Amino acid sequence: MKFVAVTACPTGIAHTYMAAENIEKTAKELGYQIKVETQGAMGIENELTADDIANADVVIFAVDIMVEQADRFEGKPKIEVPVQEALKNPKGIFSKTPK
Amino acid sequence: MKQMLQKHKQYLLTGVSFAIPFIACGGILIAAAIAFAPMGPGGPDFSNSPKLKLILDIGSISFKLLLPVLAGYISYAIASRPGLVAGFVGGYICGEINAGFLGALVAGLLAGHVVNLIKKVKVPKIVVPVMPIIIIPVFSSLIVGSLMLLVIGKPIADLMEFLGSWLETMSKGNAILLALILGGMIAFDMGGPINKAAFFFGAAMIKQGNYTVMGCTAAAICIPPLGLGLATLINRKLWSEQEREAGIASLGMGMMGITEGAIPFAASDPIRIIPCIMAGSMVGAVIAMLSKVGDHAPHGGPIVLPVIDNRIMFIAAIIVGSIVTAVLANILKKRSLPKGEVI
Repeated sequence: MKFVAVTACPTGIAHTYMAAENIEKTAKELGYQIKVETQGAMGIENELTADDIANADVVIFAVDIMVEQADRFEGKPKIEVPVQEALKNPKGIFSKTPK
Repeated sequence: MKQMLQKHKQYLLTGVSFAIPFIACGGILIAAAIAFAPMGPGGPDFSNSPKLKLILDIGSISFKLLLPVLAGYISYAIASRPGLVAGFVGGYICGEINAGFLGALVAGLLAGHVVNLIKKVKVPKIVVPVMPIIIIPVFSSLIVGSLMLLVIGKPIADLMEFLGSWLETMSKGNAILLALILGGMIAFDMGGPINKAAFFFGAAMIKQGNYTVMGCTAAAICIPPLGLGLATLINRKLWSEQEREAGIASLGMGMMGITEGAIPFAASDPIRIIPCIMAGSMVGAVIAMLSKVGDHAPHGGPIVLPVIDNRIMFIAAIIVGSIVTAVLANILKKRSLPKGEVI
């Protein structure tokens, strides 16, 4: 399974990056491929390319605010959760993967 | 229904996330300018220091942009790019008519939804290209602007004014009660409309030469993020690794006087956390009020120390308030965990 993810929290200085790290770590544990884009106070970092998104099976949004350039992900199966979920129960996010 | 509320929370937080740097920049520049200006009888005197006046003016502009940016980006979150114009216009109007932070939240939501409605209108093909750059901005601004100026703006401005004059009568009667109320308001929504109502009241009092109201507000502002950060340091076992990291970030935000630093941290457990931060801020505000701590700048937290009257008590108020929050948070947190469990 290939995933791409976007994380974003209101202040954009701590949780955005912690969530990204957690999701990446968990994906590795579960044996999935993943690339995580952060949308923090610095703007978009580790940006997902059109190829990344096209090749991904599922898109994960771990966000408390609007996702920037959300149109990139149109038509993709999505899992949307609050940032907190990525901190507390990252495995739970992956278990929501549509079968 | 629940999902719709969730979405709207996301819209509002998006606006807030864009507005936070404007608050920080404005508050810090204004505080810096006032800190270095000589004190006259009627407050800081800028007549002989054009450079400081310049810094003050730049800070004030950043501060004034807060409302348009807030409303603009709430609208942007709802309606994407075409939403910006009506949101900015609506937010600017709120500044003009004194509808404040609350007005800007309403203007932003209104603008976003109006733009989404206009987007749905079926238009001839030839008009489609000019929809986003002419038709939508013109009509959405007209609608939002008229509603704000003629219908909704006035009652919101009245509400804000009522709140202000209610707090003012409070400050004449019972200073401690006022400090309790302001402290509670500052902590309750961590940077939301209730927090900002208390904050703008304190800032307005500065203009009238009453610095103690802002003094107790300034102490209350930094206690939620400082207290929660402190809680993670005091008993590290009670908090997850992520929460401990968030605690450090929260301490940094607290030093800068950004109450919003407590938001992501408290969001996971509002029912336990919000009472703890309210208690801390209320205690801090009362200590500051009783010891006549004054603040000459519209900003809070340790960073405004240079413009504080009675600095020692200001610091004492912050420390005591933060400890109250930290201890309460740790007690409640401990109780919430099953016996013997350690994260």
